[in-house]
Amino acid sequence: MTAPLAPPLRADAVVVGSGAGGAAAAACLAEAGFEVLVLEAGPRFSASDFLPDEALMTARLGRTSTTTSGAQSLYAGACVGGSTVVNDALCWRTPPEVLAHWRREYALSDLGDTAFAGFVERAWRDVHAEPTLRSHLNRNAHRLELGSRRLGWAGEAMPRNVRGCARLGRCNWGCPVSAKQSALVSYLPRAESAGARILPDTQVTRVRIEAGAVAGVEARRLAPGTREPLAALRIDAPLVLLAAGVLETPALLLRSGIQRDGAVGSGLQLHSSAAVTARFAEPVHGYFGPTMAFAVTQFSDVHGHAGPGFMLENTAVHPLVTAAGLPGFGPEHARVMEALPYLARAVVVLRDATRGRVETDDEGRARYAYALEAGDVERLRHALHELARAYLAADALEVWLPVHGLAPIRSESDLSALAAVKLDPTRIAFLYAVHLFGGAAMGGARAGSVCRPDGAVWDVRGLYVGDASALPSNTGVNPQITIFANALRIASALAERGPVS
Amino acid sequence: MSDARRSQALAALAALDRRAFLKLAGIAAAAGLLPTGCSDAAPALAPPPDLPLRFLTPRTYAVFTAAAARIVGPAGADLIAAGRLVPGAQAEAFLASAPTLAPTLRQALLVLEFGVPPLLAKVQPFTALPGAAQDAILRELMNSRFASKRLLFGGVRSLALLACYGTAVGYETIDYPPAKPRAGADIETAHRYASDA
Repeated sequence: MTAPLAPPLRADAVVVGSGAGGAAAAACLAEAGFEVLVLEAGPRFSASDFLPDEALMTARLGRTSTTTSGAQSLYAGACVGGSTVVNDALCWRTPPEVLAHWRREYALSDLGDTAFAGFVERAWRDVHAEPTLRSHLNRNAHRLELGSRRLGWAGEAMPRNVRGCARLGRCNWGCPVSAKQSALVSYLPRAESAGARILPDTQVTRVRIEAGAVAGVEARRLAPGTREPLAALRIDAPLVLLAAGVLETPALLLRSGIQRDGAVGSGLQLHSSAAVTARFAEPVHGYFGPTMAFAVTQFSDVHGHAGPGFMLENTAVHPLVTAAGLPGFGPEHARVMEALPYLARAVVVLRDATRGRVETDDEGRARYAYALEAGDVERLRHALHELARAYLAADALEVWLPVHGLAPIRSESDLSALAAVKLDPTRIAFLYAVHLFGGAAMGGARAGSVCRPDGAVWDVRGLYVGDASALPSNTGVNPQITIFANALRIASALAERGPVS
Repeated sequence: MSDARRSQALAALAALDRRAFLKLAGIAAAAGLLPTGCSDAAPALAPPPDLPLRFLTPRTYAVFTAAAARIVGPAGADLIAAGRLVPGAQAEAFLASAPTLAPTLRQALLVLEFGVPPLLAKVQPFTALPGAAQDAILRELMNSRFASKRLLFGGVRSLALLACYGTAVGYETIDYPPAKPRAGADIETAHRYASDA
């Protein structure tokens, strides 16, 4: 798959990263006639590489980092296609309230409802987002749906970007039948058909800037498997679009000497997540079927709610993630695991108010300072409480909150124990985030932002940010459609201008 | 553990905070709570002869094995005792791919092994304690008011769970039809709930 290298390479546009932002931008630019080179630090896989092995695939396809406190895991795709390869295929249009917030607080007047909606709808079509059929709601999803319905809560099956889903339950390990329309099977083939080249195992170390304009990038090839650096290379390009994800794009800017008075790296925001597990009398078999499909929207930031709120979404019941999310250890923990077929799980997707920071250490490696603030901890407590109530309403026999030291919940009165516990991220069994935002945010005002509303890094001609790090806040919903759409918006404007000679 | 387990192991160590551990261990060492030399642990907790230790000492290997056996529950402990599940080998493989974490993990395991009051409520090495007493120490860490001790627990627990539930051998302790198909546990069944719909 790798094109022969004859350094220095040259391209009209270098796209750094091949996830939602990079892939959409690459397709858009290539189809507009740009000579595009996509550099992806991770390896390239195809459907036949996606095996039914939870630990293996989690390791092979993604990258796990932790916050500097060690209390929270951050996970993102780390292969060609990025997080779209390992996500749950869930699609939400950007809530109008979020766009209004961005216009009001960040002077992003370009992101008007109508203007942005055009790109959202384009992304929606491009990745084949479609309603989730009733026949694709598994028992795991249905347990959450049943509980929320009995409590009178709003909820809905979430649209997913799939074609011919085989309901294998392996969305997070790469779809082995290419039903999920990840970037790997949607935008990237389009980009390649239009002439774009994709270099996997190629890590960009620095953006080259000369006289206030981007000149290209420096990169290094990595050995497949060991990830050891093999060779350095230089690519010349008058246009560089960064889409290496929140875990890397801000750090890459910092390594390239772009700080913007502390704006680069600031504003890191997450959707913090933790899982609640419930045991039912009848088998659930939550390892089969779409990994996620039903959302309780009652407390969320969609359909007119201003938030910040939280979403409750069912999630797959595979051994490793289930074990990690259960509290405690020993015989009691093992007893729950032995009942795996009878377990249902759902996660809180919290719209954090917390802001953190992406930094770099002395060797230029990214670090993530993020300490969940007290208000968010209390909202997480509320979310866990409500999720447990939903499962009890659905006739769960026992419910386990992901809080070490808490006994299983068998009735609503047991939930008083959650109110009494001194909640802290280090007491939570597997607090994590897969939705990451910010660190190189757009803004209409030069002060405090990294990019202009059109995605261009202030004061560096030809350098753009097109991934979730450009978004000025979290969205309250699964973000892939928003990331696709924003990248299309940025790339479309560039495409109209045509390649720089 | 294969190299493919590297990232998963990193996830498993999500709760390990290097600075917190080093601080904790430093305090312990300053207080004379950690020995400067280590005698052998129980032979049952020794690494297999064909597993050369590159990052763990025989002592820290034994501590992790002992802790993992308590964390994964009786069925997993039986597999460990039988030598079919080898959590220490997984820790070794993980450290081979992330060698900078080796001092942190070693320090954490030494705190677990040799910590005495006021650090931990025991006077014997962890590996010399009966199972119930080991559980009590793990519980003490889990419920501690000190975040560093909770992080120690979380890190060791996560790595132990990975050793069990991230492996085909570990699946033997549970009913997981995707790995071991059986009648009545299939995709169609998982989507059938007409009575509730």
